Amino acid sequence: MSGRLSASAYFCSVALLTLAGFALAMFVRPAFGHSMLQWMGLESVPQAEARSFYATRVSPLFETHCISCHGEKRQKAGLRLDSYAALLRGSKHGAVIRPGEARNSELFMRIDLPASDARAMPPSGKTPLTPDDVTVIRLWIAQGASGVRRTIPGAPQPVPEVKIPEDAPALTEKLRTPLAAQVRKVQREHPGILAYQSRNSAWLEVNASLRGAAFGDAQLQALAPLRARIVQVDISGSSVTDASAPFLAGMPSLQVLRLGGSRITNATLVALEQSKSLRSLTIGDIQTGEDTLASLRKKHIAIFGGAGVP
Amino acid sequence: MMESKRGMHQLDLARIQSQTRRHFLGWGTGGLGAFFLNSALAKSPSHLAGENAPLDFTRNPATPLSVLPPEFAAKVKRVIYLHMGGSPSQLELFDYKPTLARFHGHDCPESFLKGKRFAFIQGVPKLLGPMFPFHRAGKSGTWISDRLPHLEKAIDDLCVIKSMKTDQFNHAPAQLLVHTGDARTGHASLGSWVTYGLGSENQNLPGFIVLISNGGTTANAGKPLWGSGFLPSVYQGVSCRSAGEPVLYLDNPKSVSRAERRQVLDAVDEINRQSYDEFGNPETVTRIAQYEMAFRMQLEASDAMDIRREPKAVLERYGAEPGKTSYANNCLVARRLAERGVRFIQLYHWGWDSHGTPVDKGLNVGLVGRCKETDQPTAALLADLKARGLLEDTLVVWGGEFGRTPMWENRGGQEMEFIGRDHHPNCFTMWLAGGGIKKGISHGETDDMGYDIARNPVEIRDLHATMLYLLGFDYRRLNYPYQGLDQKLTGVKPARIVSEILA
Repeated sequence: MSGRLSASAYFCSVALLTLAGFALAMFVRPAFGHSMLQWMGLESVPQAEARSFYATRVSPLFETHCISCHGEKRQKAGLRLDSYAALLRGSKHGAVIRPGEARNSELFMRIDLPASDARAMPPSGKTPLTPDDVTVIRLWIAQGASGVRRTIPGAPQPVPEVKIPEDAPALTEKLRTPLAAQVRKVQREHPGILAYQSRNSAWLEVNASLRGAAFGDAQLQALAPLRARIVQVDISGSSVTDASAPFLAGMPSLQVLRLGGSRITNATLVALEQSKSLRSLTIGDIQTGEDTLASLRKKHIAIFGGAGVP
Repeated sequence: MMESKRGMHQLDLARIQSQTRRHFLGWGTGGLGAFFLNSALAKSPSHLAGENAPLDFTRNPATPLSVLPPEFAAKVKRVIYLHMGGSPSQLELFDYKPTLARFHGHDCPESFLKGKRFAFIQGVPKLLGPMFPFHRAGKSGTWISDRLPHLEKAIDDLCVIKSMKTDQFNHAPAQLLVHTGDARTGHASLGSWVTYGLGSENQNLPGFIVLISNGGTTANAGKPLWGSGFLPSVYQGVSCRSAGEPVLYLDNPKSVSRAERRQVLDAVDEINRQSYDEFGNPETVTRIAQYEMAFRMQLEASDAMDIRREPKAVLERYGAEPGKTSYANNCLVARRLAERGVRFIQLYHWGWDSHGTPVDKGLNVGLVGRCKETDQPTAALLADLKARGLLEDTLVVWGGEFGRTPMWENRGGQEMEFIGRDHHPNCFTMWLAGGGIKKGISHGETDDMGYDIARNPVEIRDLHATMLYLLGFDYRRLNYPYQGLDQKLTGVKPARIVSEILA
């Protein structure tokens, strides 16, 4: 049909058809429409505030349970859940949440399915959402799926999650290096007494409780070069005496001290009142003055043992 | 020196030989791409570690139980596990169900029975309300029945988990699940994992000791409950007797002196060393080390387990009687072993399987007896550990292998003369005490009838993950390569550390 239409008419009709196509697409798929407008800069990308309920309670759930399949790496069903905008955009089948209507939201329907259902999300094999998690998401959608609101009444309390400390080998090495040679020396000469608190720590623990009377003041004070890094000392049953009181009281990082069955008396306990780091003290059957115990307890030091403990 | 180097070489050789074609094919596909990405992305070394980066547990084979530090700072250094074999009835001890009491004697609803398999219940049993009165105890107001008056005094130190669940309803597989992480034999037990990961502070005693009372020498599942599975055999539990010799034939025969025994050992060592020189098997070096430990144990174990050395007041507090085998004696021995640096101490007390057949297994007779045997010593153990400052860094665990049904057991469909409950895997109660655990709380709830869990279910593997966390390990990184898999105590399903009970 060349020659029937002028160039401008042709151009206009193509442009009109294209715009009509876009309008139809926006009508049929609002999510696509929003994406287009956002891409053209005509609409602002919806963002959630950092302290909103979404950011603190809902988004972490998606991060833990969903984004391995619905995120940057993979977008199953064309759905991404790693941002507020993406959540509102939905999947290739349409919106996954209807703000205000939790039970009609595809996302909620899927996570609410019993685990035996093939369409349940997360699919079997992935860590499931707890009933409290599902409630959080339901309430959030039901109350408008807001990116701004900070609290949702009726939402269950968040469960603290355990953070496993990460390895930091370079830092640990750096902290251990200054005293490493001395630590090795002590471990060679008196095996089994001195150990690092953990593989990722430069703090030291002293346990002489299995040495008995063979461990005394001299052996304890031989640890002097390391005293700043010692956090725990167990000299139960040893022959350490009050002569070591200044040494023990002066340890800047000592937190746990066990003295039961040693030759220490109340005099050392009085000296220990100077310690700024001590938080736990086991005294066995040491005869103590009542005020000594009271003043130690005032410093929030837990005291174990006392009269009558053999 | 040369021997240990050779030992290391042999270990490397064995490790290389254990890598099969399956491993090679698995790695090969990802290997080259991974190399490229590694250099391309160039992240810092800690990022390469990953959540399953292996920890190094190699030791000199001559000191297989030498101490290794935990991965991160631990809350506890040792575990005392009190296993109530046969499974104590949570409905008579900790889980108060007044609604169930109102329905006592009614027929069990069909919804409880449909599609379910029970160990012994058949037909339609009756519901059985709690047999003993309950009350709130301590400052925490935790519910407890009147069967444990001594333990009640320590209730503010306990964390009671009422929502434990398992998927095994028979003793042997359920015990295996609780103690080895898998319902089938062949896996390493809790104590083996812990001594493998941490060693033991006292090289003159086994690192993992088992004490049994009230019922023979073996559990339903037998010695695999404290076996080492695929871990080196040196990490298995040693079952000690609390009356007489700690280990049978530990002492020399009457006509053999210690010096003569030393001569025999020297000769045996020499032969073993020749064997090692010829074959280079590091297990030989470990065997030599074990003979030497047994020799040292002759002095130290007898001393550690000799409760006659305790003052009379302490013996009375536990209810311990030297010379007998009893749970009370075992608790006192457990405290002595804890003081002496033993890493994992496990007590088994049998007879809690309150089916109601026969009378001494009934709830109103057998359970009463078991409570009387265990209540005072358990409370005394907790108090004793606390007084010595040991409870701060010891984890005490108490529990069975599953729960008991809210229904009155009717074996073979017949009404029974004595009162009992059948096995119930859906929910049961355990309690924990010690370092890193919140004091005086209850975690988890069952429904009004005590049939299913209503809130906060805790799988066995979750409990294991939590225990390993308290001991200073990421449960995913305490692993051991075997049969093409990095085996873990918690198995292949993801586990959750029960953060709600951590202090």
